Amino acid sequence: MDGRSPWYLAYRRLRHNRVALGFGALLAAIVVFVVAAPLWADHVAGTGPNATHTTERVEVDGEPREVVNREGEPVGPLWLGAGGKFFLGADGRLGRDEMVRLMYGGRTSLFIGVVAASITVLLATILGLLAGYYGGRIDGLIARALDVVWAFPVTLLGAALGLALATGGLGIGPLQISGESLWIPILIIGVVYTPYVTRPLRGQVLALREKEFVEAAVSQGSGPLRVMFGELLPNLLSTIIVFFAISVANTMLLESMLSFLGVGVQPPNTSWGTMIADGFELITSAPLLTVIPGAMLLLTVLSVNVFADGLRDALDPRAKLRLEAHAGKAEPEGTAI
Amino acid sequence: MRKLQAALVVVALMVVAAALSSCGSSGGKEGGTLTGSFASFPELDPNIAYTAEGLTAMYGTYLPLLTYAHADGEEGTEVVPALVENLPEISKDGKTYTMTLRKGLKYSDGAPVKASDFPASIERMLKLNSYGTPFYTDIVGAEEFAETKSGGIPGIEADDQSGKIVIRLTRPRGTFVQELALLYAAVLPAGTPAKNLTADPPPANGPYEIVEVEKGRGWSYTRNPQWEKSNAARIPEVPSGHVDKIDISVVRNSATQVNEIERDKADWMQTNVPADLYNKVKDRYEGTQFRVERPINIYFFWINVTRPPFDDLKVRQAVNYAVDSAALERIYSGALAAAHQVLPEGMPGHEPFNLYPHDMAKAKSLLEEADPPDREITVWTDNESPADEAGAYYANVLEELGFDVTLKTISADVYFQLISNPSTANLDTGWANWFSEYPHPNAYFEPNFSGESIGSTNLSNTDVPKLNEKIAKLGEEPLGSRQEDEYAAMDREVMELAPWVPYGTNTVSTFVSSEIELDDVIFNPIFGQDLTSFQLK
Repeated sequence: MDGRSPWYLAYRRLRHNRVALGFGALLAAIVVFVVAAPLWADHVAGTGPNATHTTERVEVDGEPREVVNREGEPVGPLWLGAGGKFFLGADGRLGRDEMVRLMYGGRTSLFIGVVAASITVLLATILGLLAGYYGGRIDGLIARALDVVWAFPVTLLGAALGLALATGGLGIGPLQISGESLWIPILIIGVVYTPYVTRPLRGQVLALREKEFVEAAVSQGSGPLRVMFGELLPNLLSTIIVFFAISVANTMLLESMLSFLGVGVQPPNTSWGTMIADGFELITSAPLLTVIPGAMLLLTVLSVNVFADGLRDALDPRAKLRLEAHAGKAEPEGTAI
Repeated sequence: MRKLQAALVVVALMVVAAALSSCGSSGGKEGGTLTGSFASFPELDPNIAYTAEGLTAMYGTYLPLLTYAHADGEEGTEVVPALVENLPEISKDGKTYTMTLRKGLKYSDGAPVKASDFPASIERMLKLNSYGTPFYTDIVGAEEFAETKSGGIPGIEADDQSGKIVIRLTRPRGTFVQELALLYAAVLPAGTPAKNLTADPPPANGPYEIVEVEKGRGWSYTRNPQWEKSNAARIPEVPSGHVDKIDISVVRNSATQVNEIERDKADWMQTNVPADLYNKVKDRYEGTQFRVERPINIYFFWINVTRPPFDDLKVRQAVNYAVDSAALERIYSGALAAAHQVLPEGMPGHEPFNLYPHDMAKAKSLLEEADPPDREITVWTDNESPADEAGAYYANVLEELGFDVTLKTISADVYFQLISNPSTANLDTGWANWFSEYPHPNAYFEPNFSGESIGSTNLSNTDVPKLNEKIAKLGEEPLGSRQEDEYAAMDREVMELAPWVPYGTNTVSTFVSSEIELDDVIFNPIFGQDLTSFQLK
């Protein structure tokens, strides 16, 4: 009987999880949708995400219609009536193409979600390894520093930092980031979630460092860096991947919350959060302007979360058993296996 | 017998006339309770209130020596006597103002209104560091008093016996009559504590008094018990009001305010109808319960004339041609009346003109002629709707014109602080608006185009010596028809320099329940809706 690598076994388990695969496919479709934004903008809509068409008219089945009427009401979804222009209508009084903005906004939301989650996981991995491996004072120092961030509710801290940095930007030595840059919300979100990932990783490092393979590496003369990144890190990978996937969903949600409050993505950039905020003002007369980006956000976060769940089950099947045991569905860990 | 008949006819006519005058022109009823809502809770202390809500709340409660006519439109910008018998006599050098207090006036607590209450009220306002302070520091000794908060103001003489009040200024000030009619100069009893009395407002001298205050939640008015007895007949310029009681509640959600009016649960909302309900309300109620009002303000994009590429007149003219106020009218959901000059409609000296009718082709050709080497510009706006959308539109227009634009959308809380600070980087052009405290053209030109105002309110950094001289000279002269003509010419002169792209006046709305006579409601361009004009059907 051939031996199988843990990654292959995980792939086999994931392949059998139809729900996770279904939502994974949905996520892939959403990614394709947002990546295709320039194609739609250039070849179908014929306009960019920030181009305004306030006083223009569009031909719908041969009839000219105002993009925004004199009372400031935007045209609703035209579907294919104008050859794909204003497919989902105009975004409000500026008369920007809602479909184009939805696609570009999705790119921003996903980009922020992925990059901010990467920052969170990177910082958390480094801090978790240092704290768990060294313990003692270093562990205490890192724990207290994380407590400071943890002491504030995520949204409140994110909003406070966003408000402070959206106006003046960020300047740390040679690193200068202007207030309207996407890197401001990315850094804020990446930092505020770090404690939530560091703690469990540190716990896992604490458990791993007592294992024989770590003792063997140390006794063979491996230094701390080699042990941390050569021995411990590969054993954390499956956990890190799962945390990354969950973090993408969380960071996207936080981005939309901050953008809704006006302290996340700054104009003229757009994200699903800013689109919800922009549409909210016209919620009674044009509810689709809020509902559509909201639904896209919901679908994306749901698909990331369900897929991440499937990934966790595939990479760490004992975790599923632990959860089920906690819910009273299975025998506690240790007795069933 | 004939004499008796004639006398009876005269008496009957007098009775009918009296009945008609007490019922008002529309035949609505006298008395009853008006219920209204504000979106925020204002300061209820006249010497310090500076918001539109505060002005509306106290227009019919606290009277200065002079006041603005209780009338709509341009008529409402006229200064009329309130506590004094006549408009002030102004000395030839423009530095001395003399008035006489009307006799027999009383505050709502029964205390007599005395001439010496006026200097005491000005001192109180200065002690409270009111926003109104700069309007009165040209009174001899007032500037020193504002700093030391002691020693009195030697420039005001008040004789309680004769009621004579003499005000001496350090220099002629053409706007002083308008400033004396502001709420900051409302007269309160001498000895009124120099602290914010919002929670327990001081005695009133107008037709209504504020009787109950629940801070943050609402307040109520009743008729001033002394008004009919002592003041009404002596101050014919101020109407007595129709309702007996006014209950105001603070409702922060303007959609809820609309809903309450539609269900006749409230009679009036001080706030504008929100943008998403504006057209629905307008379509359904215009003419019966809804009316569009035109206050005095101007909305514009400022252009920093000292920074390239805008140091070139042709570039600024190109920008003026490129901006389409029809697009901005849509962005403001119809709550904007297009305007293309500094002085808005309703302001003395306003003569309509448009030097730069929208023409994108002309704008592009002017820019081509100018061919500025630096096309990287920053457009500033704040994050409150629709200023954010106006800024985004403007940025898009400038991009279309050929500029490389960075849009900076700043929190409205710090926006004006930031753009008026000369050390802020890249102050090229951006959105702004201007509301003056009183209807005098100088209040538009001096802060916005005088070299002395650079670094504070002169966002375009316009500094033309001849224009500075004219602004200073006219600023010393009381407003008359010659001055109005000169201000009209100045308006055109400034627009020829194109330091602004004015695009309109933001209109506001009056929305009342079906229980209110809409035609009777007065909207004063400075104070907003006049509480004394509301009448129940």
